[in-house]
Amino acid sequence: MTASRLSGWINLLLGGWLVATPVMANDMAGPDYHIQGFAAQGLIGSTNNNFFGKSRDDVSTEFTEAGLHGMWRPLASLSLSGQLLYRQAGATDEDGLRLDYAQADWQFVNTDATQLGIKLGKVKLPYGLYNETRDVPFTRPGILLPQSVYLDNSRDLLIAAPGVFLHGSHVHDYGTIDYSIGWIRPNFGSESVEYSFLGNTRPGKLKGQDSLASRLRWDTPTDSTLMLTYVDTRIDYAPGRTDTLNAGNIHFRNLLATVQQRLGTVTLTAEYGEPRGEFNDFGAALPNNVRTAQGLYLQGEWRFAPAWEVMLRHELIYRDKTDKSGRRFQAATGLPAHTMYMRDWVMGLRWDVTPSLMLRTEYHHLNGTGLLPGPDNPNFFSREQRWNMWLLQAAYRF
Amino acid sequence: MNAHKLIRQLFVWILLSAPLVASAGVIAHPGVGVSTLSSASLRNIYTLRQTQWPNRLAIVIFVLPDDHPVHETFSKEKLGMYPYRLRQTWDRLSFSGMAKAPIEVRDEQEMLAQVRSTPGAIGYTSKDISYDGIKIIRLD
Repeated sequence: MTASRLSGWINLLLGGWLVATPVMANDMAGPDYHIQGFAAQGLIGSTNNNFFGKSRDDVSTEFTEAGLHGMWRPLASLSLSGQLLYRQAGATDEDGLRLDYAQADWQFVNTDATQLGIKLGKVKLPYGLYNETRDVPFTRPGILLPQSVYLDNSRDLLIAAPGVFLHGSHVHDYGTIDYSIGWIRPNFGSESVEYSFLGNTRPGKLKGQDSLASRLRWDTPTDSTLMLTYVDTRIDYAPGRTDTLNAGNIHFRNLLATVQQRLGTVTLTAEYGEPRGEFNDFGAALPNNVRTAQGLYLQGEWRFAPAWEVMLRHELIYRDKTDKSGRRFQAATGLPAHTMYMRDWVMGLRWDVTPSLMLRTEYHHLNGTGLLPGPDNPNFFSREQRWNMWLLQAAYRF
Repeated sequence: MNAHKLIRQLFVWILLSAPLVASAGVIAHPGVGVSTLSSASLRNIYTLRQTQWPNRLAIVIFVLPDDHPVHETFSKEKLGMYPYRLRQTWDRLSFSGMAKAPIEVRDEQEMLAQVRSTPGAIGYTSKDISYDGIKIIRLD
């Protein structure tokens, strides 16, 4: 059975099950357990480049998300939680059904002012505002997350990983402080991650080593959020049998700063990151180098009626902050300069038809292909600098 | 009826109806061990930060649907939050495994029944009156 036929079947099954269960929804929560889920289908059309399937001058239906989430709290201080996720996103994600995460969380301090706990397992990674629930459509500010910070190309890396975290929070007159710091083994095994780190799929394998992930968040009494995320990781490359690359390694770091201000029904958000990759010992085909990228977005959301929200966002990414125009890259590689940057104007509209059904639409006006999904656009030279994209999404929750 | 009189009647109507709408009362299971909560504690509980009562019992949160008028009143008046922001907080914390989402009940009847029968339960109703087997929580 082909992937798309399989996805059709899963849609049908999930759909049938969702329609058949509203009466049951009440029984899906008890004092010590809770089950919830969602299913969403998107439509994507674009000019000049593909995004999540064959969307160029066409309509792609290859953006499907569904999740089943469960939490069990056997003791007041212990909770076990996990999520099964079905996702298809064009050629960038054809994995279908997978275990998204599964973790145990022990809160050994819990007073009304201070919480302290340890979580371990395949854990959700703290990264910026939206990463931990990036696949739950209702929690995102738009159909797509800002690509400049939450690169879908690197989602496998950011989504969840085996590890252990110490996390805590403290409530005080000056607001609330949340922090988490942990050790993880990130997943570099996916094709998209290989694309974004090595420029193409390679015969060998990237393997994540011991890594540090941390985040500090301050919510002030004036409805502002200030946050810093820091990730430090090392990736080793195991070359394939016929490989132009040697057994090199990458030292990858990212510092992400977040600011959000909530004013009544208006939410203003900005996030800025500087991912930095240091490439060593790959041999002549990929000389030693250090490259720092820049990603930024500014976003406004306005809930102008209880069930309606508009969103306006501007984002930009430079894959090399010393070569923003990409001209040096073009001179060195012969590849198009516009693959080194991307600027995007986004307008979105959200309608919560009922508390469990959401409809969304979104329009993107883009300059550059810096974050274009590689697997959907395998030919570098058929990628075009200027393109537009619209999306529609229906999402159901239970 | 002249316009002046109409406006005065309207004004009286608003004054009368406001306390009725705003009187969402906080209720809890008798075993929770407290009878007063600060506004900050109530907000900590409903934003899923505080998960245990002082006597170590796990807090079980009950809510009405997002578009229920009593929920809207409770959310805005008692927590100082728009219902959609509250929902976002619950979604982000629960789907990431950081906290257990509140349990949604259909109506006030079910709210009363659940809070009465669930140890550690907290909830709210539109009327600040006492019910058998349910504790009224005063806010200070």
